[in-house]
Amino acid sequence: MSLLSVRNLVIDYAETRALDGADLDVAPGEKVGLVGESGSGKSTLGSAVGRLLPRTARRTGGEVLVAGEPVFDLPPAGLRRLRRRQLGFVFQDPIGSLDPTMRVGAQLRLVLGRGADVSMHLERVRLDDPRVARAYPHQLSGGMAQRVAVAMAMATSPELLVADEPTAALDSQVREEVLNVVFSLAADAGTSLLWLSHDLPAVARRCDRIAVMYGGRVVEHGPAREVLGKPAHPYTAALAGSAPAAAAHGARLEPVPGRPPVLTGPSPGCAFAPRCALAVDRCHHERPGPVRVRHQDVLCHRAGEVTA
Amino acid sequence: MRLLMWWSGRALSSAATLLGVSVLIFAAVRLMPGGFAETVLGPFATPEQKAELATRYGLDQPVFMQYGHWLAAVAGGDFGISMISRQPVGAELLARLPVTAELSLLAVAGSVLAGVPLGVLTAVRARPGGGGAAGRLLSGLGVSVPEFVLGSLVVFVFSRYALGLEIGAWVPFTEDPARNLATMVLPAAVLSVFAVSVTARTTRDAVMGVLVEPYVTAAVGRGESPWFIVRHHILRNAAAPVVTLLGTIVAYLLGGALIVEHVFNLPGVGSYIVQAVGRRDYAVVQAGVLLAAGVFILMNVVIDLLVGVLDPRLGVTAGRRS
Repeated sequence: MSLLSVRNLVIDYAETRALDGADLDVAPGEKVGLVGESGSGKSTLGSAVGRLLPRTARRTGGEVLVAGEPVFDLPPAGLRRLRRRQLGFVFQDPIGSLDPTMRVGAQLRLVLGRGADVSMHLERVRLDDPRVARAYPHQLSGGMAQRVAVAMAMATSPELLVADEPTAALDSQVREEVLNVVFSLAADAGTSLLWLSHDLPAVARRCDRIAVMYGGRVVEHGPAREVLGKPAHPYTAALAGSAPAAAAHGARLEPVPGRPPVLTGPSPGCAFAPRCALAVDRCHHERPGPVRVRHQDVLCHRAGEVTA
Repeated sequence: MRLLMWWSGRALSSAATLLGVSVLIFAAVRLMPGGFAETVLGPFATPEQKAELATRYGLDQPVFMQYGHWLAAVAGGDFGISMISRQPVGAELLARLPVTAELSLLAVAGSVLAGVPLGVLTAVRARPGGGGAAGRLLSGLGVSVPEFVLGSLVVFVFSRYALGLEIGAWVPFTEDPARNLATMVLPAAVLSVFAVSVTARTTRDAVMGVLVEPYVTAAVGRGESPWFIVRHHILRNAAAPVVTLLGTIVAYLLGGALIVEHVFNLPGVGSYIVQAVGRRDYAVVQAGVLLAAGVFILMNVVIDLLVGVLDPRLGVTAGRRS
């Protein structure tokens, strides 16, 4: 049984549609990379896992199951229990996700309970300088703050950790250190990982499976090596083929000419069709349903004809 | 070292501000139409009588000389003699300060006890798009009804109908605490209407601002309950603008709630100054305004210190790494 199961999820903000029928599964212990451009809906999907969406967001359809529990239909107390026991979150802005008015040690104690061994939890994320616990968040570097955030998220050994671009705001040198900490803690605790990123090759190096998002849907989902090496969706092919080694490290890539769509309602056809080299008439009018190509689940009328 | 620099900087700028205020108020009092002599001697005084009076109080000297004498005396703690009551102004102000302080304390306590919870509650309960209109209307009303209108209305209603609270029968707190409080409740309530409205409004805005911070989302994601998050993460982070506002209200009230004290006939600093303005009692007006300005400046220092304690990023010693 899946630990996380997202079924045909549709999320709307006032005028725009952020998720347009997204499907995703994460098995216990699995490391899944969720890849997509800004605006593809990956952050909305990540937040929806814990129902942490902004107040303006509305679930129009579909559901999210965590350990079999319907996240959007739980009473408040049940939802809090689920977040407390099963879920952990790490966000993009490391310093912003810590309370600026509390010392790091005090924040950790608030999460861990009185009498908890704060220094042990800091050492687990390789922060062994005793000054860290006495510091305020603004006195830390981004990398240190993010490791504190990881320590707080992993303190309860959640079953699923959702990491929304945890290294996007960090210098390139400390990115790998933070990722190492996240992956080793997750491995130790048997925690499943949903890592949101825009960097397909980086994700492919560490994850078991990859889900690619476009236009508010997961357009391709499969084993990491297959998705990177033999993509079945034209969009994934463009992402995988856009040779990140050629670009400056850390720069945002523009893999495909044109801009991602801004939906206001359900996309009439395939959201990628306007930018797709393989698009035919049908792609513009008919929503692609899931098809199985090799090891991947793909939303594309022409899947299988793609060659990276 | 940084702390010392900060304090000396604050002391210097405070002194400069006070000096500026002293010049302004000294000039303003002398620019008021109708002089002291006319007020005291009446409309039929002869020029000789007026001249004699002016000489007695040094009003015949050039204005800058008068200012110099006054400033030197004030610097030595002497605020002069009231031209009407012939009493030392400093002692009279000091005697009236407890009344004003009590009134301010009651009014501010009311606005903290009612305004802060109201602001927090309406912010946490706020729904996107809807709501807030009724609250905005109420607080807008509370902010914009002038004190003299509300005060006069309350005085009228409570003196016309026996509703259990006396108007204008003030007794010292030390003499009869219960009766003292009974006479203070109404004026404090009138002052609170404004203070509660702005406090609630400011608290609501501050809390709404904190609610969208990532650390609040992170706390929600950890499964914390709403009231746990309010208590541990929101109150302190939203406190700075509210503390600043409350400090300003305290300073404003301590300088004398002029109109309300006057309307309710309370022997506080405010009514003293209102009377003095009416009688062109220069020394009293000058001292009163200088006192209000001094309280304001002092309160601002207190606010800065408090805000720094509440938010370590804004503190006096901010930037110092541990």
